[in-house]
Parts: sequence; C-alpha cells; structure tokens
Amino acid sequence: MKTLQTEHLTKRFLGLVAVNDVSFSLDAGEILGIIGPNGAGKTTFIHLVSGILMPTSGKVLFKGRDVSYAPAHERARMGIARTFQLIHPLENLTVLENVMIGAVFSRRQSLREARRSAEGICESLQLGDLGRDTASLSILEIKKMEIARALANGPEVLFLDEVMAGLNADETRQMISMVKAIAKERGLAVGVVEHVMGVIRELTERVIVLESGELIAEGPYSEVSKNPRVIEAYLGGAA
Amino acid sequence: MKRTATYAAAAIAAVVLAVLPAFLGAYPLNVARSVMTYMALAVSWDMLLRSGQISFGIAGLFGLGSYASALLVLRAGMDPVLSLVFATLLTGAIAYALGFAVLRLRAMYFSITTLALAEIFRIVLHNLHDFSGGPEGVVLPGVIFGGAAPALYWLCLAGLAITLGTSWYFERSKLHLALTAIRNDETSARASGVDIFKYLLVAFTVTSTLQGMMGAIQVQSYGFTTPETAFDANFTLLPLAMALLGGIHSTLGPIAGAVLLGIASEWLKLKIPYGHLVVYGIIIVLVILLMPRGLVGLARNRRAGRRA
Repeated sequence: MKTLQTEHLTKRFLGLVAVNDVSFSLDAGEILGIIGPNGAGKTTFIHLVSGILMPTSGKVLFKGRDVSYAPAHERARMGIARTFQLIHPLENLTVLENVMIGAVFSRRQSLREARRSAEGICESLQLGDLGRDTASLSILEIKKMEIARALANGPEVLFLDEVMAGLNADETRQMISMVKAIAKERGLAVGVVEHVMGVIRELTERVIVLESGELIAEGPYSEVSKNPRVIEAYLGGAA
Repeated sequence: MKRTATYAAAAIAAVVLAVLPAFLGAYPLNVARSVMTYMALAVSWDMLLRSGQISFGIAGLFGLGSYASALLVLRAGMDPVLSLVFATLLTGAIAYALGFAVLRLRAMYFSITTLALAEIFRIVLHNLHDFSGGPEGVVLPGVIFGGAAPALYWLCLAGLAITLGTSWYFERSKLHLALTAIRNDETSARASGVDIFKYLLVAFTVTSTLQGMMGAIQVQSYGFTTPETAFDANFTLLPLAMALLGGIHSTLGPIAGAVLLGIASEWLKLKIPYGHLVVYGIIIVLVILLMPRGLVGLARNRRAGRRA
C-alpha cells in the first residue's frame, strides 16, 4: 500500500480546470519532484492533498484510507504536512512557539512536551536562538522554520512548496542536504515543488510533470527532461 | 524572577482591591465598580480579539446577561445570587448557538453582524412588553445584598477576578497558540492541525459568557434596567477604547486602559458635564494616532530601545 495516492484528482474553479485527472502515488522513503511551468496547478495539487482545498472529483488516499474530503486540520493530525509557497510566519510568536503549534495541535502534545519536541526539531535544522521574534529572521531561517513547523506535526508525508526560492547557491546546497537527511532519518514520503531544475536533479529520484493541470510525464528527472512534451510545455510551441 | 515579580504584584493588587471598602465611601466605591465593569468587558473583548475577530457586540451580551438575570428573579422567582449564575450560563449558551452562524464570518462581516445582534436583542426586549417590561424596563424587588456598598463592590470585584483569571489562562494555555495562529494566518494554522472553528467557538462562547456575567452583576447591583441602559452602546465603545489605549492582545493592556480612561471619564464628567464625551473622543483619536500599540506597546518599545 502506498503512503499517499491520488486517483483522477480534479479541481475546477468555475471554467478553469486547475488540476485535471491527476493520479499519482508517493511512498515512504521517496523524494518526488513536482514540476511544471507557472500556473500548471502544482500548488493547487498540494492544496488538494493537504485539505486546504476540496476536490471537485477524484480521490486522495492516505495509507489506503479515503481522505478526499477530510478537513485540513484532520489530515495534519493523520500525518500529511506541508509548507507554504507564500510564507506567513506567525509574527506575534517566537520561533519556538511557531514550531510548537504543530506538536500541540497535530500530535496533541502538552505544552511542555511540545516545547521539547520543537526544540529537538529546531536543533536538527540548526535554527539558533529560538526565543527570537520571527521578524528578525533571514530568508534561510524562515524557510527552515517553515520546514520545522511542518515536521512538528509528526508527518509521514511532507510537501515542500518552493522552499528553495529566494536562497543563494550556498544556502540551496545546505537546504538540499538537509531535506535529504530529514527524509531519510524519518522515513518520510516527500513531495517537492521546485522551479530550479538543478535542485530537482539533486534531490529527487522521480518527478511528475504538470501542465495546465494535467500530468503529462513521470519518471526519473534524466528521462523526463528529454521528453518532448515536457520540453514543449516549458519552452512553448517554438521548441 | 520576572514571573515571581508579576505574581507578587498581582497578589498585592488583589489584597489592596479587596480591602478598599474599608477606606472608601459609597461614591468612590461606585466609581470603582464602574471601572471594574468596563475593565472586565475590555479584557473579555481583547480575549476574542487575540483570534483576530473584532466584536462590536459587547453591549448585546452584557444586556442579555442583565435581562436574563432580572427576568429570572422577576418571572421565575429565582434567588438573585442564583440568577447571576444562571444568567451567565444562559448568555453563554445563547452565544454558543449563535457562534455556529456568526463565526462563519470574518473581518468586518463578523463585526457588523455582532453589532446587529446586539441591536436585535435590544429591539426584541424593547417590544416584548408583557415579558420584559418593554421600553420602561424592569424594576427588581430589591438590590442584591440589601444594596450594601462594600458587598456590591466585592461582587463586582469577583466578576473582574473571574474575567482576569480566564484571560490569564488564555494567555498561558494552548489557547494562546491556537488564537494567535488563527489571527496570523488561518490556512497555515489549519495545516498545523488547528481546528479553527472549534477554537473560535470556545473563545466566542467564553468571552460572551463573561460579558453576560458582568451584565447580570450590573443589573442586580442597580435593581433596575431598561433596554437603553442594558444595551447602551457605551458598553461596547468604552471597553474598546480602553483596550486600544492600554494595548491589545494582552491582559495587562486593557487593565491599564480601563484604569486610565475609567477614572478620566469620571473626572471629565464632573468637570465638563456637557462636553466630557468630546474630550473623551479626542483622547481616543490622539491615542490611536500617536501610539497605535497602546501604553503597553509604548512601554515595551521603550524597554527594547534601552536594551539596544
């Protein structure tokens, strides 16, 4: 049984089909890349899987269980975690409190337990000075905190929505090895949305390609990047 | 260390407040009751504000508590003290039910709806002549505790203590994390497992219950009320102004604001009987323009500035 699976997942916004008939699966210990041009439906797809949006039709199965219409907070508790492309760090909370939220509400830990597990997660991500206000964080630290927040849920599935965006080459390398280490240590099923193809090549074993909401290709990055449909999707009809 | 100092200060304040009737006459005690009532309303309003929801319905729930308590005594022959408990719970129950509707709304839609609810309560009680006494209001057979000024003061102090205690609990329990997360970003709160509706319902019900409780205490302390007194817009506006002046999203801010504005308004009423509200309004405008984070925010900045 796959950790996470979708069957013919579709989301329609009035006339626009943002995600169209996408079936895929993701297994524990696997890092999957989700790529596609802007507006391909990558973020909508993650919204559907994490319950932020409800599908128009199709199914989301978590460990074989149909969770297609389960509310987001319930899916978080089951073990589906994610970061957000547009980051909204919680301003009036410290770094530690930001990370504690997932432990308190997803894992139902007491404040004391949550504090300890949040400290552990932050330490493994090398997030220093946890008493800080989030306003003073650098981009790298904010991205790390976003990942820490997601990990605090105690997830089995983790989606990272453009966590490398805005990082420089050094920071990106650091982030790649960090994500790899986390996935391995925790045996996570990881889905990564990323625009930088170098990151996808380094990080993932398999990718799915979305275009206009449809899944147009699947396989290792080296193969997919040679697929004529994928090249056309990225470069347009001229290619 | 800092926490010990806070507890010590709170304990001293509690003792001073408790023994105040030994030193003060009826008028100052009356002023103190008024300040404490507004303080409790300001703190309760702020407790919901911590989730990002701006309620304009304080007067509605306050009035509901007032009428519930008065009518329980008058129509059901209930003991006044017991009526305080039941009126408080009844207001909470009504808020809980209404919560399922109003908490689907956000931002100004929520605010306007809470304002409208307050108005609806007032109009209903205004027009239910036989049941509520209509526009003339209700007169109770007597004031609670025979109207003894110290007893009334202690009753009000007890209401305030319950409110402050609840607010303190809100700040230190996981409710603090839930409400702040909701205020900052509901989507990311949901992704962290926060059941948004549940926590909003808890906050709305609890704060409404506290507001109803203060209303019940008020009506039993005066022995009468009318729709216009119980649902007076000042019960919404003054607590709001006090919380803004003192500093929102904390327990301490609304307390400071209530002490200052409460005493200032009483003093202004004596000095400028016909224009005190104008001066009051000017104070509020200046405060919002010059220190948007209130007195507590100002003190915090000052301290941060000195450290840097």
